[in-house]
Amino acid sequence: MTEDELRETIARQFGRSLHIRTLDTGSCAVCEQEIRLLAAPHYDLNRLGFFFTPAPRHADLLLVTGPMIRAFAVAARKTYDAMPGPKIVVAVGACALGGVYPDDPFTHGAVDAVLPVDVWIPGCPPSPLALLHGLGVAVGRLAEKVRDVPFTEEPYPERTRGDS
Amino acid sequence: MTLWFIRGLRRGVVTTRYPARPDASAASLPTPPTFRLQALTSQTADRLAETCPSGALRRDGSVLVYDVGRCTACGRCAAAAPHAVIRSGEFELATTDRSTLIKEIPVRGEGR
Repeated sequence: MTEDELRETIARQFGRSLHIRTLDTGSCAVCEQEIRLLAAPHYDLNRLGFFFTPAPRHADLLLVTGPMIRAFAVAARKTYDAMPGPKIVVAVGACALGGVYPDDPFTHGAVDAVLPVDVWIPGCPPSPLALLHGLGVAVGRLAEKVRDVPFTEEPYPERTRGDS
Repeated sequence: MTLWFIRGLRRGVVTTRYPARPDASAASLPTPPTFRLQALTSQTADRLAETCPSGALRRDGSVLVYDVGRCTACGRCAAAAPHAVIRSGEFELATTDRSTLIKEIPVRGEGR
């Protein structure tokens, strides 16, 4: 299945309504504050067809924050297993992406050590706009941009392969 | 209530999709840094890798490996080397492929 076909399938299966379960695996709660702001009138994620749900059995998308504390891994796994398929896992924030506690003995260091992550949203914390963009990417409505951002002021110099 | 309803009808649909227009708050968001290749010498790259508290910057031979996913946009690299590091302003960084977040920034003066 090509990437385009996969996107179409996701868009068709999740339609215009997607229910989100948030999961805090040991974050400092700033990511949660930003997630909570999504429901505020300024961002209003309900207009885009996203809804928060308190039950994993009603959820299509798992929004995971934090560096995956070892004590929480079982609960995270159970939450994931309780969700009906097809399901999407979104890792939110630098901790969840392996940034802040990669070597901490009390954490797994990153969410993808325990759960199969589909979409990564960087940021510490990701702003509500970044989260909305991430949700759009997760359901295939918005395009990914970071692939083409070089993070250098000038474009890369021409690579001279083979003569170094 | 009636007045409110009529006013709503007159204004038309105000619910918009994302991103309907540039958000004013986006300009002041902390965002991951961008590097100036001209100023990124071997010495500077080493200092940046040492400074980064979240392990987003790592020196690997002739490149500075920059994991945007790990960056907390704390700004310590910009404070350590203001001539080589500037604000990127990029915040829409979500991706379905983790490897696209890892950038290899060439270090000046190192052959490649």
